[in-house]
Amino acid sequence: MTRRRWGLAALGIMLMGWIIGGEWVSIHQHVPENHFIDAVGGLSFLVAGLVALDRRPRNRMGWLMIAYVAVSYLGNWGNLQVAVVPMIGTIGQQPGGAILAQMVLSYPTGRLRTRFERFVIGTIYAVAIGMSAVIALAYDPRADGCTRCAWEPAPFPSRHAVLTAISAGQRAGFFVFLLLIMALWLRWRRATPAERLGLAPLWVAASIYMVVGLMGTFASPDPTAQPFAYLVWELQSVLQIILPIVFLWGLLSTRLARSAVGDLVMELERPLLPGELRASLARALGDPSLDLLYALEGQGRWVNADGQPRFLPTPGGGRQARTATVVEREGEPLAALIHDPALDQGLVRAAAAAAGMAIVNERLQAEVRAQLEEVRASRQRIVEAGDAERRRVERNLHDGTQQRMATLALSLAMLRDRVAGDPAMAASLDQAAAELKLAIGELRELARGIHPAILTEEGLPAAVEALADRSSLPVRVRADFDERLPEPVEATAYFVVSESLANVAKYACASGAQVALWRRNGSLHVEVIDDGVGGADASRGSGLRGLEDRVSAVRGSFRVHTSPGGGTCVVAEIPCDT
Amino acid sequence: MLIVDDHPGFRAQARALLAAAGYEIVGEAADGESGVRVARELSPDVVLLDVQLPDITGFEVVRLVAGEPDPPAVVLISSRDASDYGRRIERSGACGFISKADLSVRTLAAVLERSGQ
Repeated sequence: MTRRRWGLAALGIMLMGWIIGGEWVSIHQHVPENHFIDAVGGLSFLVAGLVALDRRPRNRMGWLMIAYVAVSYLGNWGNLQVAVVPMIGTIGQQPGGAILAQMVLSYPTGRLRTRFERFVIGTIYAVAIGMSAVIALAYDPRADGCTRCAWEPAPFPSRHAVLTAISAGQRAGFFVFLLLIMALWLRWRRATPAERLGLAPLWVAASIYMVVGLMGTFASPDPTAQPFAYLVWELQSVLQIILPIVFLWGLLSTRLARSAVGDLVMELERPLLPGELRASLARALGDPSLDLLYALEGQGRWVNADGQPRFLPTPGGGRQARTATVVEREGEPLAALIHDPALDQGLVRAAAAAAGMAIVNERLQAEVRAQLEEVRASRQRIVEAGDAERRRVERNLHDGTQQRMATLALSLAMLRDRVAGDPAMAASLDQAAAELKLAIGELRELARGIHPAILTEEGLPAAVEALADRSSLPVRVRADFDERLPEPVEATAYFVVSESLANVAKYACASGAQVALWRRNGSLHVEVIDDGVGGADASRGSGLRGLEDRVSAVRGSFRVHTSPGGGTCVVAEIPCDT
Repeated sequence: MLIVDDHPGFRAQARALLAAAGYEIVGEAADGESGVRVARELSPDVVLLDVQLPDITGFEVVRLVAGEPDPPAVVLISSRDASDYGRRIERSGACGFISKADLSVRTLAAVLERSGQ
């Protein structure tokens, strides 16, 4: 047993003596109350406090429970009619309710979180201490039958006036109680789902306790004076037993959760699908929003189970703040559980340890997926760079060679006008102009093949319309949108339509084709249908394979439906988040 | 007539060609904004306007010039083909389009005649 536990045991024995001794004094002085229930209530708080101090040494709840026991049982010792003891007992027990309020509001950490919470608890302590001061000034032990007590009461008009003052103080406590309810309500609103789950039983018990306490402010201070006062008094005693049990339950609930970790171990014995480990951990820890990230070895980066890059939460993220518990192996980060900060750290680490092998396995899979994702992203960058280069070449052709050739055509036209009287020269210039016109036309086609200017200028539907106009077959185009899409999406869709229509013209022996473009669920759908001979096979030709590669580079899907004599249908779905 | 094109060689040849045919070239501009400014200052009857300019597009120049009182007839020119601009030429408000390779006194006159200028 550690020194700390010896210390706690000594404290426990001392306070047990304090409680039982106080009850013994009350019995000896024939105080009309249920001494057994009163003692059990105190002992419950004592045990709960000691367990809290043992299990959670840094948690203030344990000390608050111990303080509550020490303060609230002063009242019983106050029945010892010696010197000033009755007065000390009577005034000393007043802050007991304030400690209880602090416990409820600061559960489970024992720390008040906001300025308003500190104000409320400060006010409650101020009222309690004020009450103590009134009692200290006005208390007359001899009037209570303590003939041996050495205490001179302040010159209050009468004992009746003192009782009236105390009663008024108790009623003022009602408003303080309302403040406490407001603070509790605010705390509930700010609480995360996991916190609410932990707080609910305590707050139910505390609410009942406080309602009964409130009833007590309207009852006579002397429980033997009226049946209502006696009922309230007995209820308070019973609830005083229940409350520490709920505190204890809250503490032991971590242990209950640990049994869920045991279930997790059983669950992880079978092979898991991607993402299933996260769901299992979320279930075991009672945090549905829990996330599981994996560290990429030696890269200092984090990814989720799908290999998508993710970041650890930054500290102090406000109400929706998340905490990261990093799981390490041989000093190297392995994974991180992103969870509700209210979760017990020890429990989170226990769950992570239980899922150790599954985490290692899923991390390896996540690494592979991250590498695949990098390859795909790299492919997309290559495609985008290629598109950008095509646009640049087309633009350069337009700004340079095409302009010069157009200027040359003008010069030839001028020369032609000047040599109108020389038929031979005019014929030569006409031929030169015709050749130049052909060259300009071919260059224009080449530039259009490199990158269609209309796609940049007008967007996809117009560019596809232009493709249809130039096609050797009748092509019907249907597009249900007019807005611009991201350049890679437009370029890929155009490429699909252009290649498909070229295939139809070359191989399909079709009488016509239809192109449909529509947007649904954040994706652009492209469909090219012909009524030709069918039989297209993506695995045999490089054209369809190239389309498939191109579409998958932008995370899209590509399918070809065809049957001999039944035409061909090319379908591409390209994500576009605009 | 005002010629707006960012290629000096093309402007010079176009000026010579059209001046020889009897058109009075009142000014030239090398970009869209100066084209708009010169058009406001000189109030030409016709603007021969390149679509691709270094600052704003020829379509934008048409829109700005069209807002003026007694706007000129604008003929768009480009080394690209009309089909490279889709319906944008129709929507622009210009009275016609001539590919630069096809620019001649005859084609210009035909466009202006078609638009009633």
